[in-house]
Amino acid sequence: MNWLREVVRRFRMLVHRSQFDADLEEEMHLHLELRQQEHLDSGMTADSARAAARRRFGNATYLKEESRIAWGWEWFENLAQDVRYGARMLRKSPGFTAVAILTLALGIGANTAIFSVINGVLLSPLPYKNPQQLVVMRPNDSPPNVRDIQRQARAFSEGGGINVEKMDYMGATEPVQVRVGLINAGFLETLGVQPMLGRIISPGEDVQGGPRLAIVSNHFWQNYLGSDPHAVGYTIQLGGNSYTVIGVMPASFSPPAEHADVFVSLVVRDPGASAERDLHFMHTYWRLKEGVTLAQAQADMAAIDRRLAEQYPAEEKERKSQLVPLHEWLVGDVRSALLVLFGAVGLVLLISCANFASLLMMRAVAERRELVIRAALGAGRGRLIRKTLTESALLSVLGGAAGLLFAKLGTSMLLTLRPEELARLSGIHMDTRVLLFVFVVSVLTGIVFGMAPAWIAARADVAEALKESGRSTTASTMGHSIRKILVTSELAVALVLLVGAGLLIKGFSRLRSINPGFNSANVMTMYLQLPKTRYGEIPKQTQFRRELLTRLNSLPGVQAAMVTDIPLGRNYVGHRFVIAGRPPVAVGGEPKVQTLSVMGDYFHVMQIPLRAGRDFTPLDREGQPLSAIVNEEMVREFSPHENPIGMRIRWAGDTGPPQWMTIIGVAGDVKHSGLNQPTDPAVYTPFSQNDEAWRRFMTLAIRARDVSPRLVEEVKKQIWSVDGQIPVSDVHTMDDLIAVSLAQQRFNMLLLGLFAALALILAAVGIYGAMAYAVNQRTHEIGIRTALGAQRRDVLRLVVRDGAKIALFGIASGIAGALALTRLMASLLFEVKPTDPATFAGVAILLALVALAACYIPARRAMRVDPMVALRYE
Amino acid sequence: MSRGDPLHRDEIPPGTLYLLILKTLARSGEMHGYEIANSIQRISDDVLQVEEGSLYPALQRMLIKGWVTAEWGTTAGNRRARYYKLTAAGRKQLAVEMSQFERVIGAITRVIEAV
Repeated sequence: MNWLREVVRRFRMLVHRSQFDADLEEEMHLHLELRQQEHLDSGMTADSARAAARRRFGNATYLKEESRIAWGWEWFENLAQDVRYGARMLRKSPGFTAVAILTLALGIGANTAIFSVINGVLLSPLPYKNPQQLVVMRPNDSPPNVRDIQRQARAFSEGGGINVEKMDYMGATEPVQVRVGLINAGFLETLGVQPMLGRIISPGEDVQGGPRLAIVSNHFWQNYLGSDPHAVGYTIQLGGNSYTVIGVMPASFSPPAEHADVFVSLVVRDPGASAERDLHFMHTYWRLKEGVTLAQAQADMAAIDRRLAEQYPAEEKERKSQLVPLHEWLVGDVRSALLVLFGAVGLVLLISCANFASLLMMRAVAERRELVIRAALGAGRGRLIRKTLTESALLSVLGGAAGLLFAKLGTSMLLTLRPEELARLSGIHMDTRVLLFVFVVSVLTGIVFGMAPAWIAARADVAEALKESGRSTTASTMGHSIRKILVTSELAVALVLLVGAGLLIKGFSRLRSINPGFNSANVMTMYLQLPKTRYGEIPKQTQFRRELLTRLNSLPGVQAAMVTDIPLGRNYVGHRFVIAGRPPVAVGGEPKVQTLSVMGDYFHVMQIPLRAGRDFTPLDREGQPLSAIVNEEMVREFSPHENPIGMRIRWAGDTGPPQWMTIIGVAGDVKHSGLNQPTDPAVYTPFSQNDEAWRRFMTLAIRARDVSPRLVEEVKKQIWSVDGQIPVSDVHTMDDLIAVSLAQQRFNMLLLGLFAALALILAAVGIYGAMAYAVNQRTHEIGIRTALGAQRRDVLRLVVRDGAKIALFGIASGIAGALALTRLMASLLFEVKPTDPATFAGVAILLALVALAACYIPARRAMRVDPMVALRYE
Repeated sequence: MSRGDPLHRDEIPPGTLYLLILKTLARSGEMHGYEIANSIQRISDDVLQVEEGSLYPALQRMLIKGWVTAEWGTTAGNRRARYYKLTAAGRKQLAVEMSQFERVIGAITRVIEAV
């Protein structure tokens, strides 16, 4: 433990450094005085006594230094000195400091913001127990199936489902809507998150007629239960029933991909829906048993699917469950976009660093005389390098700190911009990993990019440098050519980013200009589901629909219709079908079409054009011949050479006598699944001729002059005047649905555009700095040229030619780089080739213009050089 | 660069400064720097002349090693002075330095006296 005590002593000295100096000083002073006194006593004169004492003592300054060095802190003292000195230098040239810090801050800030997202989305483990074992089963499933799978599956240790529904919560003052997760026992167990207070619902309580129990989220607990540590046992009013709070979840908990304020048992809350095998509305999550692979689990699931299909052919004939690792499912398509953005933002950082290095280099050349004098006075090469490096590290750490501020702003901007896919993940924030990332990036930047200038500074040949007057030395020429290379690469990288952004912008505008097949303006949509208890039979459903549409259409200025699945609403039903008179196809091998039921003037309300035949009329109703309208894609695919009007089709696999539908019209194609998705063949049929009782849902499409919240309230009032207990959800305008469907592309485009703009600005600053410096260095030469009769035009050409050379080289290498790199973003582009020549050309011209503009300012200064002043300056 | 006394006095052999300081402190208990210098000089009959200032870096190194401790006190002349005192580790070190010194001196003596 001796070394430990020694370390403690050394540290104590470091802390009491100034005391140490004073003590040593006093001690030595006493020594000298006593010796001097002794000499005086022995009869010397005062002067010689002092001289003799000093002689015997030795070099006090040197000895003090020795005593200090003994403690081993000189590196620290040097560092502190360098930092102090560096800070002073930076304060002395605030312009340089501000530009350098800003340059880095932009690069580091943008990187940090994107890294926060990457960190939250791609790197952080999901906030569940052993998340790598969790899988999601697609598509959704029904509660009876979930129970069967829970019983039968051998691959899963646990599993369960959830469906989030909005319910009224009777708070202290007024009713509010809260999101209630209807779960079955197994759901919370599967995710493996323990409640913070209380317990979760046990399997014994998750039964029909079980107790009404609720587990609340941390958010709910804080907002409505006053964070009461004794909240367990409270009674809360949810959707008209009293529930007893039995648990509070921790703040970090949220079900995958959705939010819920309260969790209650589905079977207790809604025994009817819970018993329906064909109501596939639960999002189900499963935990793989230890050692079970995804493939094994998939095989196990296939066997269960077969059994269920045999057992319940009416409902489960087409089962095809697919297991997806939870993380993959949550991250999905965002991954490639994020990686491209991360690459792009890395390039921005590279440009920042090149600018930073170029600034430092300029400064190093400017300070060379000072460094040379220091070297001449005996400063070691290492010490000089360290001094320069300290300065650049200081700058880069300051840049990093400022970058954090930018990142803070940037992250909150990202969060407001983030597309649906990112919104599914709540873990986006700056944590220690992000801070560490910033710290490492900034210090490395300072050291790596401070190295070149430091090296140039240290190479200084003392005699040589003192002789010359600070112009055109080997070192500064070399510095100049390195800087040219830096600026050239900045331009090249900026071009790559601009091309990337240009491609995305072009793709996005292509996407925007795609005709969705309907007119989204002034259309409001909302989703209704009829409870099975009262609307089990089709006539009841038809009656409700008709009554509702009559009421809505009687509102002034309102046109209302309904469809099973609204375009861009993320729902899709497909059926197999048979065409009359065509050769029979093997059962199960029939072609599939999108199947939509409509009521009211749907095509009119959505302004979907009718290409041929006629629209449905009120006469196309129950009891009348079955009619259908198909879309153009259906005609292209199945009767390209035959007039579709009058053709007859029926659904495949129907038992009983065939129900032939006659095609009466052809409607325009609609982009149902997204503007960038192909249109599938589709068949529209009247709701009233629908023979599938399970289609108890519908989406209202309402066109009105003014799509306002008031209208929504009015519509809800009408709905509830027909039936007061119909839940209304997913209220969106059609424009919103389009915006949401474009959100990911918009996000990519905005961010890459932002990065490209940053890159452009930084590169412009870079080339401007280099040219300004070059003009400054050549003032003398330009003065001579002017004196010898060069015209202003010649001077302009001289400077601009230099800049143009750099710009051309930069652009040429940038194009090469872009050709190689844009392939990586092909998956993000819509109908634009990664090598789109127009984009490349446009971007190259833009960059060339910016570069020339950046050269023009220093060139103008060069033109104004007064030869007399320039020459006298010498 | 010589910082020694130009008068003819013998420099102390290199490496023995610690030994001299340790021994001096062992004999006399607490001393401040000036007293240590004087003591070494006096006892060696003025033969060993410490370059007085170099005591101080040496004392610092000994403080780091934990061989001595220092405390401020008052001299007879009522001046503030830093008094150094041997620690247990210092005593141990003294024994180590002594035996090392004797080994070296013995060896040198044998070399010199060999015929």
